[in-house]
Amino acid sequence: MTTLFINDEEVTVSAGTSILEACREHGADVPYFCYHPELSVAANCRMCLVEVEGWNKPAASCCTPVGEGMKVTTHSESLAKDREMMMEYLLINHPLDCPVCDQGGSCKLQDYTVEHGAKHGRYSEVKRAVVDHDLGPFVSTCMTRCIHCTRCVRFADEVAGTGDMGVLNRADHMRIEGIVEDALESELSGNLADVCPVGALLDKPSHDVARPWEMTRHKSTCTQCPQGCDIVIESRGDKVIRIKPDKDGVEPWICDRGRYVHDAFRADQRIVAPAVREKSGLVNVSWDEAIQASVDVLKDKRVGIIFSPDWSVEGLASIRLLHDSVFKDAKVAFDLHRRDMREFAFEEGFSMSSAQIVAADQVVILGSDLRQRLPILMQGLRKRGNEGKPVTRIGAMNYRTNSDLSADALIRPREWVAVIARAMQQLKDLGKTAAGMDAWLEKVEERHEAGKLLADALLADSCALLVGEEIRSHSDASALIHGLDLMMRASGHAEAGADGRNLIPEGMNAQLLSAVFGDIRVSAGDLLDAASDGELDALVLIGSDPMGDGLFSMQAKRAMGKVPLVQIGAIAGQTSEFANVMLPAAAYSEVEGTFINMEGRIRMAEHPLRSLGEERPLWKVMMRLVQAFGEEIPVVNLTELRARIESFLPEVSGVWDDDVTDDECLLVARNRDANSMPNAIEPAMSLDVVSRYSMYREGMWVRASSYLVEAGDIHALDDLLVHPNTLKDAGLSAGECKVRTTSGDYDYHIGVREDVAEGVLFISKRGVAGDLSCEVMASLEGGQ
Amino acid sequence: MSEVEQVHFTEQRLAEIDALVKKYPSARSALLPVLHMAQEDFGYLPMHVQQLVADTLGLRLMIVREVVTFYTMFREHETGKYRLEVCTNAGCMLNGADELVQHITKSLGINVGETTSDGMFTVTEVECAGACAGAPVVQINNEYHEKVDASYMDAFITKVSSSEEGGQV
Ligand code: SF4
Ligand code: SF4
Ligand code: FES
Ligand code: FES
Repeated sequence: MTTLFINDEEVTVSAGTSILEACREHGADVPYFCYHPELSVAANCRMCLVEVEGWNKPAASCCTPVGEGMKVTTHSESLAKDREMMMEYLLINHPLDCPVCDQGGSCKLQDYTVEHGAKHGRYSEVKRAVVDHDLGPFVSTCMTRCIHCTRCVRFADEVAGTGDMGVLNRADHMRIEGIVEDALESELSGNLADVCPVGALLDKPSHDVARPWEMTRHKSTCTQCPQGCDIVIESRGDKVIRIKPDKDGVEPWICDRGRYVHDAFRADQRIVAPAVREKSGLVNVSWDEAIQASVDVLKDKRVGIIFSPDWSVEGLASIRLLHDSVFKDAKVAFDLHRRDMREFAFEEGFSMSSAQIVAADQVVILGSDLRQRLPILMQGLRKRGNEGKPVTRIGAMNYRTNSDLSADALIRPREWVAVIARAMQQLKDLGKTAAGMDAWLEKVEERHEAGKLLADALLADSCALLVGEEIRSHSDASALIHGLDLMMRASGHAEAGADGRNLIPEGMNAQLLSAVFGDIRVSAGDLLDAASDGELDALVLIGSDPMGDGLFSMQAKRAMGKVPLVQIGAIAGQTSEFANVMLPAAAYSEVEGTFINMEGRIRMAEHPLRSLGEERPLWKVMMRLVQAFGEEIPVVNLTELRARIESFLPEVSGVWDDDVTDDECLLVARNRDANSMPNAIEPAMSLDVVSRYSMYREGMWVRASSYLVEAGDIHALDDLLVHPNTLKDAGLSAGECKVRTTSGDYDYHIGVREDVAEGVLFISKRGVAGDLSCEVMASLEGGQ
Repeated sequence: MSEVEQVHFTEQRLAEIDALVKKYPSARSALLPVLHMAQEDFGYLPMHVQQLVADTLGLRLMIVREVVTFYTMFREHETGKYRLEVCTNAGCMLNGADELVQHITKSLGINVGETTSDGMFTVTEVECAGACAGAPVVQINNEYHEKVDASYMDAFITKVSSSEEGGQV
């Protein structure tokens, strides 16, 4: 610790802190442009000058570390003069077009000009103008306003990891440029507008739409992925203009998916009124009529319910209450990526916080496109990579991470057992073992060398496993997870406080879902098949779109229309075509509710936006249904509902009474008796099917956002991809091929890419070939 | 980026670069000398050469671009065989550099920054060459020509133009 004096006040900060940071920590106001708490120090704007007693010139406080006994002055006559000169210099080439600039009102340059600038300009010579760039669908540029602080350059380099922005030329010719002219290749690009202190980089979708002072701000939680970022929703009237990261939140950035999904809040696809199907189509009716229609469809029927995990905790619990009151025998599913419904040794959710993962000695990503799946966690790993800490990845596709991986192995899904067995063998040879490990190991003959990477990582003092969708959707997932669990025990990473078992969940609220629905959940694919096969009489979809998301779109398409459908939710989507009744439920931005993220962090949304039309919070819709079925309503208000939730999941007790802190995380469910053994069946077909998760395409909200749909088109790949050797082995060449599966043969265009593991048929695009996702295996033959 | 041409460093060059990189704490520090080598080998530094340098040193292209565009001695475009770089900074200006530039451009029929159609000469203005005692100074390729006047330049241009091989400067 270092003790110094800031404006005569004695303060103590940790050694090595910069003077600027010490001032910020202790409320001394120092102006700055190029400093950013999350970025490296560039010290190029010279706005942060302060005086240090005994030094003969002012010091740039952002790059000067504190010293013992230092006497710092942040305001003096001479500093005022310096700052005035800095401002005059920065404004030489600035267009001073604040009245037409979106940044006006929240612009550092504008604020500091008022605060520190000269009363009037003296510059009457020619100003330069700079050509603008196209930085993709989310960032608009006005480069003449740029003050060359290079925050954007450091952001692209250090945070986005693309490094595709830079400073070209020098002096008067200096300009910021993107190397990729047509798109900034980053899922974090929206943050650029926040990072830029002036109006040079702006939010494109909200360009020329609203000014900062016209907007009201609500804190909320993003539910677009299990990360559950803390967000601030900026709205004018009822219209959401922007979503930004919450400055006081856990993470400093949010991804483009969570940021631009707001377009869907007011999309035509919103369900705003109850409706029932008549001959002419869906007709808006009153709530009473629609509820009655639902009862008519569902009463005394064998019902299947598929819901989205992203509703609030209250909404999800009310689904269980509906189930228990009215549909006791209904099949229920919410995970559109899980085939194997046997218990997992460690259930979905993280046992570590993101910060712990980033700090662990070893991190292993197993079968996940983490950049698309959990962009913010991937950002943390990138930061880790920048510091030279290892990140290992094993999986079926060489997904782009925009960061350096220390080790990387391509394997096909059927090789997971051999990978785990190889790693287990290594642990065993070193005398590390756990009860049941030998039995598991005996079941597997093959060993795959990629297992060495896994075992080496497991030998570190702390190791975080990030188990992704390739394992979670595996048909033998339970056995694989059991194998991983055994190794984590054997190597001491399964103990409280050092638990490194993290299973990336389908969506939000994983901890609650396994507690509340663990005993009644089935596979969504089986549920849909049951509807097709006449084992169910009706379907209820609650905010879930199995036709568009997950692995079972083929089954969903087959089931739709076979049985009556009651659709409850906020977005109509493609299933609405088949809905007999639609009931509007309020969006996550419109409810007072609780959310749990993958780490088990609990967030309360307390200041909802007004709903568009007649939507009601999901829990109220559920209770109304219970009532209409003539059952006793289990809860009549949020307090009662929350009391019920506490009985489902005792860990949440008290969260609604006191303030929850960031460090309080719910624990993930463990099943000590989940001991599935690997199954030794010879694969029947030559290829393994792996389907891509695209953050710009997966999710009903995302597909209703025109911004994200546009971004998805930029990031699109060929429909189906294989490794060139896979084609060669089959004696084929790229182009039209026949894909043979257990469900039939299909003609598709096959593309080639070395990034795909050999023996994998990679489905990169939804829609056209997306329906093949339900297949585990396939083979290729020549087309016509 | 267009893959216009596949360019490579020679084995010998690569060995030189290797040795150089070892002298620094990181490969990035070797960027300046390696860019000079690349310019020597390929004449100038178009994008694909910059990419080659980036790949060779394991750097991002943008880092290379930043350095190349910062220093005027790195050339991104093809120039004439003889680069006539006339110093027009204070000392040389007072000694007639502006008139000299006028004379050269007029007699070659090009503007400052342009190359003659036969690909022989490029004329540029540069800042102080650090040889003010010899003002006005013209740097021709890597050599200084001091106390230059119009007739000296005329003679030089005639000499190299008339000699088939371009003559020895
Ligand atoms: S565009 Fe903005 S962030 Fe980038 S250098 Fe210019 S002022 Fe800074
Ligand atoms: S990372 Fe996930 S939670 Fe965070 S903003 Fe993006 S989609 Fe939302
Ligand atoms: S903030 Fe210190 S120089 Fe820019
Ligand atoms: S001014 Fe021309 S060499 Fe110095």
